[in-house]
Amino acid sequence: MAKSIGNALIVGGGVAGMQAALDIAAQGFGVCIVERSPSIGGRMAMIDKTFPTLDCSACILTPKLSEVLRHPNITILTNSEVGSVSGKAGDYKVRILKKARYVDEEKCSGCGDCATECPVEVPSEFDQGLGFRKAIYVPFPQATPNVYTVDMDNCIMCNRCVKVCEREAIDLEMVDEIVEFDAGAIIVATGAQLFDVSAYPRLGYSLYDNVINAMEFERLVNAAGPTGGHLIRLSDGKVPMSIGFIQCVGARDVQKGVPYCSRICCMYSIKNAVMAMEHNPDAKVWVYYADIRAFGKGFEEFYEMAKARFGVRFLRGRVAEVMQGTHSGNLVVKVEDTETSEIRLIEHEMVIVSPGMIPPEGMSKLARKLGLPMTDDGYIKIEHSFFGPVATKDPGVFVCGMADGPKDIPDSVSAGSAAAMKATIILAKGEE
Amino acid sequence: MTTVEKKEVQAKKEWEPQIVAFCCNWCSYAGADLAGTSRIQYPPNARIIRVNCTGRISPEFILASLEMGADGVLVSGCHPGDCHYSSGNLKLRARLTIMKMAIEQAGINPDRIRLQWASASEAQIFADGVTTIVEQVRALGPLRREWK
Amino acid sequence: MTQTDDPRIGVFVCHCGHNIAGVVDVEAVAKMAESLPNVVFSCDEMFMCSDAGQQLIRDKIEEHNLNRVVVASCSPRMHEPTFRRVVEEAGVNRYLFDQVNLREHVSWCHTRQPEAATEKAKDLVKMSVARARVLEDLPIKTVKVLATTLVVGGGIAGLRAALDIGDRGFDVLLVEKESELGGHVAKWTHLFPADESGAEVIKPLIKDVKAHKRITTLTNSKVIEFDGYIGNFEVTVENLKTEKKQKFDIGTVIVATGFIPFRPYGYFAYGESPDIVTLAELQELAPSDQLLKPSDGTPVKKIAFIGCVGSREPGVKGHEHCSRHCCAATAKAAADLREKIEEVLILYQDIRTYGKGHEEFYRLARRRHVIFSKFPRDAKPVVTVKNSEVHMSWRDVLADRELTFQPDLLVLATAMIPPEDIAETAKMFSLTRSGDGFFNPEHIKLAPLTTHTAGVMIAGASQAAKNASESVIDASGAAAKAVGLMAKGEVEIESTVSHVLSELCSSCHTCITVCPYGAINMDETVDPPVAFVTEAKCRGCGTCASACPSSAIIMYHSTDNQIMTMVEAYLCSPAQLEGGEPQ
Repeated sequence: MAKSIGNALIVGGGVAGMQAALDIAAQGFGVCIVERSPSIGGRMAMIDKTFPTLDCSACILTPKLSEVLRHPNITILTNSEVGSVSGKAGDYKVRILKKARYVDEEKCSGCGDCATECPVEVPSEFDQGLGFRKAIYVPFPQATPNVYTVDMDNCIMCNRCVKVCEREAIDLEMVDEIVEFDAGAIIVATGAQLFDVSAYPRLGYSLYDNVINAMEFERLVNAAGPTGGHLIRLSDGKVPMSIGFIQCVGARDVQKGVPYCSRICCMYSIKNAVMAMEHNPDAKVWVYYADIRAFGKGFEEFYEMAKARFGVRFLRGRVAEVMQGTHSGNLVVKVEDTETSEIRLIEHEMVIVSPGMIPPEGMSKLARKLGLPMTDDGYIKIEHSFFGPVATKDPGVFVCGMADGPKDIPDSVSAGSAAAMKATIILAKGEE
Repeated sequence: MTTVEKKEVQAKKEWEPQIVAFCCNWCSYAGADLAGTSRIQYPPNARIIRVNCTGRISPEFILASLEMGADGVLVSGCHPGDCHYSSGNLKLRARLTIMKMAIEQAGINPDRIRLQWASASEAQIFADGVTTIVEQVRALGPLRREWK
Repeated sequence: MTQTDDPRIGVFVCHCGHNIAGVVDVEAVAKMAESLPNVVFSCDEMFMCSDAGQQLIRDKIEEHNLNRVVVASCSPRMHEPTFRRVVEEAGVNRYLFDQVNLREHVSWCHTRQPEAATEKAKDLVKMSVARARVLEDLPIKTVKVLATTLVVGGGIAGLRAALDIGDRGFDVLLVEKESELGGHVAKWTHLFPADESGAEVIKPLIKDVKAHKRITTLTNSKVIEFDGYIGNFEVTVENLKTEKKQKFDIGTVIVATGFIPFRPYGYFAYGESPDIVTLAELQELAPSDQLLKPSDGTPVKKIAFIGCVGSREPGVKGHEHCSRHCCAATAKAAADLREKIEEVLILYQDIRTYGKGHEEFYRLARRRHVIFSKFPRDAKPVVTVKNSEVHMSWRDVLADRELTFQPDLLVLATAMIPPEDIAETAKMFSLTRSGDGFFNPEHIKLAPLTTHTAGVMIAGASQAAKNASESVIDASGAAAKAVGLMAKGEVEIESTVSHVLSELCSSCHTCITVCPYGAINMDETVDPPVAFVTEAKCRGCGTCASACPSSAIIMYHSTDNQIMTMVEAYLCSPAQLEGGEPQ
């Protein structure tokens, strides 16, 4: 066994990476989380409520965020990417590209005076472009670390933030750095991204204002979101009384290069349908599906509840087309109800397209740096579904969360713990 | 709000059953949490006091609640055999049986006390239990009347 | 107990975005709290659990010299640990914190009654403040964690967990009630949806476990007694053959007791013909080139599968859940068998081939002309056996036609249900169970592997229906939880135990008879003997405190006074509390 170093590197600070970090750190090893965005938290931070218990996502995630931040064994590098990796299991040398955030993380207290002063408003990525943020910003209120970031692409160098910052934390001259890190084991927890549903022009996304995607819906119903939690149409601010959810878009579709099931869309849409009815009990909510895949613990029971208690209507059929009315901004869904073989035209005031998941941007580049094989679908290939479901070809590199394929939160969390277990076996051997 | 509606609200406010609910942490308090997360709606008359186990509940707690003006008391715990502490709920059940007899002799309707088992997954049973005691007590009227 | 200064209480009311503030008038609640006795600070805030909210608590503790904190937000089952930590960071003992549940118990369940909900919220805050006034600080205790894990169940999950813990350098005691390790997977000659047989998957694991110097395996054995507390459990294992009992001291537990396949008597003529089998039974059939009819040994030319047998039945207790593994297993079995069998039919409700490669099996099956037919949920297929032939009839939803079929073999994809003795196991380890009958995790999203019994983890199908690959992931994850505790070597435990005031004890022994843990004994060295509590054994149920006729037992953090004061705060007007008459 090669010389081991009691540190693990985790690529990606979403819920899987965070869980892995906590479980490794709990054993006394050091952990470095490399996160590309300005905050850890991943997709889960953007979600409003979680299935099947309707817990609010921020409520259950926030304690984990602070736990990770406060853990003495965990270092978080945000705005950072893996530059290069060399070495082997037990002894990797990793170069991390830490991009300039233009704010000193030690000095910034997250007070927000700078953002108040900043004159530049740009669409917020976290709010899916539905809300705005300043050019100096934190992505969301519970951002971890709670440190501001300057978006240089949109900064006009007016220096107003620099002047207003009492702690003199802002340095617009800051440059990117390379951080070197020695790791005994590496965990890939990069997560996944949403399929771009504008690839289906027939469904009207990006053509019609009132056709949105599921993550946009999450932000719309979220109290901290752009509408303060009011579910309204983007075209005219009207409260939608009839809402349709379209399933299997960018999933189970060989033609679009996404032959696999994305595993989460059925459940998040049922949850979203329930939330739509929570917001407006008088609304009529339809879900257009191919198969309802409510397979996890408590999922089927939740599906039944959506039907029985909330009155969400489920129609089995792949939507052929979404059309927009000329004046009202209303939409008409054309679908074959496969259970009655009828072609139906159903009018909605809002349509939500539920995208499948695809590998995150830069996945193949990262896989190349780590020397890992990928699946045909573009995820990290696992070693074996029974002998190594979180292992990769490299005995010191493990994978968890969506990096090896779509997963819901509990499965991502379990996999995070499992990857941590495997990593610590390697780390501990170095200590012996 | 229109005048008519206001009157209705005021009329209702005259007397609403006040219920003290003792719930064990492991089953019924969790069941009540699940009722919330499942958005099950039930009457807002009960105030939950969390105890580790229903076995913790002394007869005094219930008697004092009634004496201080509660119209009813709900005790909710784990199903027999499922107690997190093995058997605390059975001890409580035994106490409560005797106590109900005692308060009946004192002239108080024993229906003002309700014992129910609701596990952490039985949100609906918990909510229904609250509805039941509220309705039961509402039918009986304010407890103060029985004191006379 | 140490004397605490005059109470200086801070009340923090959380909006939780719209979750609470959308129903409850949080400002009014915070304002009302200001007027309560000993409250020196009160406010409302968007998210108390956020970094900003936490910092606010710490700042206000310092600014106002608070020594008690009440947070009115979500369920304490969610965030009590968070806020306890926060107050402690600001120098306030964690037991001087109290949480009010305004979300699960108010705003979410009284959504359409904002006024009544606000009244209830005010009452609950009053009650909590009253309790806070009389809370007492308690010592923070740590205990050592013994470096051995008990793994209950030697199936694929138990084996994996044992190996990982052993490989990480800790000792494992693996207890299996059967005579052989391997669980269900070992019995399956075809492990659908895998390409390997069960034996190929399980044998290497068994070999490694048997050879591992850190793993002690006890087969034919059962845990019959379980005592103690996190880090220091005492288990008694009985050999079911020899009836020999052994005691072990262990630090952590992983319960991996798995599932059993539902035997569907009363469904689809199961039991009426040898040619009607479950999917599990099909997986156990001896491998051969050609699938043969169990009844007469002739080759099977037509086979049918029915999905969701004993699963997805709303209102049927223990059968409401989806059994997760069956769709992919059925699709793979059908695709494989189609190569040798002329007609393969699958009757289904939804095809749930969600996992890695599963959708591909489904497509493969379709490509090989396996016939899929969806039956309506409210009209299940009808199966009869006439002249030892199996007849099926059902309505195909998509074609809207009544169809019939006479398979040589009918396979019922039955539910995964908990083993018969799960209630016993649950009781043994103080675990709760959910509607599907399997064990409840500590939190369904973020803590799927730990339980409400500190130090006891769950893995594999003991938690919910799942396939072998998912069980393996769980097992490694649960192993990480156990190792995390053991590697640290010590853990903080609750100080909420009971205590006997010996001067009040009347030696009646009542507490000794009610204590479920044998934590109370008589101190015979004094005369008359008095009861005393072995704190390490006490789990804090408080049954003794309410049973004691002399009020000689204090249940810390749940004293009579701490409970009664809440009742008073709810029911009595301030005038009454001062000794006046009710209005």
